[in-house]
Amino acid sequence: MRDYVRLTGVLLIVCVIAGAVLGATNYITEDKIAEQAVKANDEARRSVMPQSKDFEKIEEDKVSEILSNAGYDSIREVYEAKSDGNIIGYAIKIAPKGYGGEVEVMVGVDSEGKVSGIKVGKNGETPGLGKNATTPRFQEQFNMKNWTDGVKVIKNGTPKDNEIVAIAGATITSSAVTKGVNQALNLAKELSGK
Amino acid sequence: MKLWKDFTNGIVKENPTFRLVLGTCPTMAVTTAVFNGIGMGIAATAVLIGSNLIISLINKIVPSEVRIPIYVVVIATFVGAVEMLIKAFSPALDSALGIFIPLIVVNCIILARAESFASKNPPLNSIMDGLGMGIGFTLALTFMSSIREILGAGTFLGKTLFGAGFEPALILILPPGGFLIFGLSIALVNKLTAKKA
Repeated sequence: MRDYVRLTGVLLIVCVIAGAVLGATNYITEDKIAEQAVKANDEARRSVMPQSKDFEKIEEDKVSEILSNAGYDSIREVYEAKSDGNIIGYAIKIAPKGYGGEVEVMVGVDSEGKVSGIKVGKNGETPGLGKNATTPRFQEQFNMKNWTDGVKVIKNGTPKDNEIVAIAGATITSSAVTKGVNQALNLAKELSGK
Repeated sequence: MKLWKDFTNGIVKENPTFRLVLGTCPTMAVTTAVFNGIGMGIAATAVLIGSNLIISLINKIVPSEVRIPIYVVVIATFVGAVEMLIKAFSPALDSALGIFIPLIVVNCIILARAESFASKNPPLNSIMDGLGMGIGFTLALTFMSSIREILGAGTFLGKTLFGAGFEPALILILPPGGFLIFGLSIALVNKLTAKKA
């Protein structure tokens, strides 16, 4: 009986200390981590739309009616890209479902309806396969794609103007990103009223 | 001299990947690219040194009946705290090694060394054991991932090695290729070390 008390007691003390250490670390780092996430998001927007001076988030309640459309299920956040007070495009965060969960992608669409850049962020894709979606070689394929023609995926060969070549062995990831980019293009078109 | 022996033990004689056959799951998962192999190796080494040190320091006060749950709690706490600190203060390091840290919590090499070495040896020896095991793990991962990335993707550290005519053997990047290379590597290491004996 005494053993039970002693062993349980030691285990309890260890767990209490562990909890306190983790709690303290969380307390110190929580704000910093949130800050870093905001910064990373901001940098992603800037990298897909370098010509924009600042970004203004369109609050969800303003676009909730549009976003409730099933065709926009991958859209997460929408920002207006502004330069000297004029809207010059949109930075749209999408999270289509890839092979290993959601793939976060920031898509820049300019006011002429062209993709100004995409940046693949947090994802759980297979290293060496789907993870290659973060390479410039894959991402740059989306540049200059437009909202009239959309984007299509082909497995190999020479892509036409509205096509991209899938990453070898990662068709699911490639299709997911493409699906999200198409949604972003459609949304930008709808928002700009063109 | 004992310290040196503890250090080199993990590199060849008891190499965690090829000799003890521990940590096979993360080995399969990260050896698809050299960068991932090295990243996982470095992150695991840091955690091994830290957890070995802590376990060695507390082994006198830990009742042996409940030592395993205590080790698990200690290791998980250590890794969890390190992860938060890296995320907050070094975003660059986080984007490079961040994805490997949660994988380390379940890396059985850490628990194995805590149980079979750190709990029975003084702190300094435990640090050396952690360092040696970590380097052994890193070397094994680098070796396997080099083969898999070069033949399976035609690149090394992300740089293309061959001309357009090279058709990469995709299977080596996929899980079956991982098992193939793993088996062949163990065979090679056995062959090389058998000669010496």
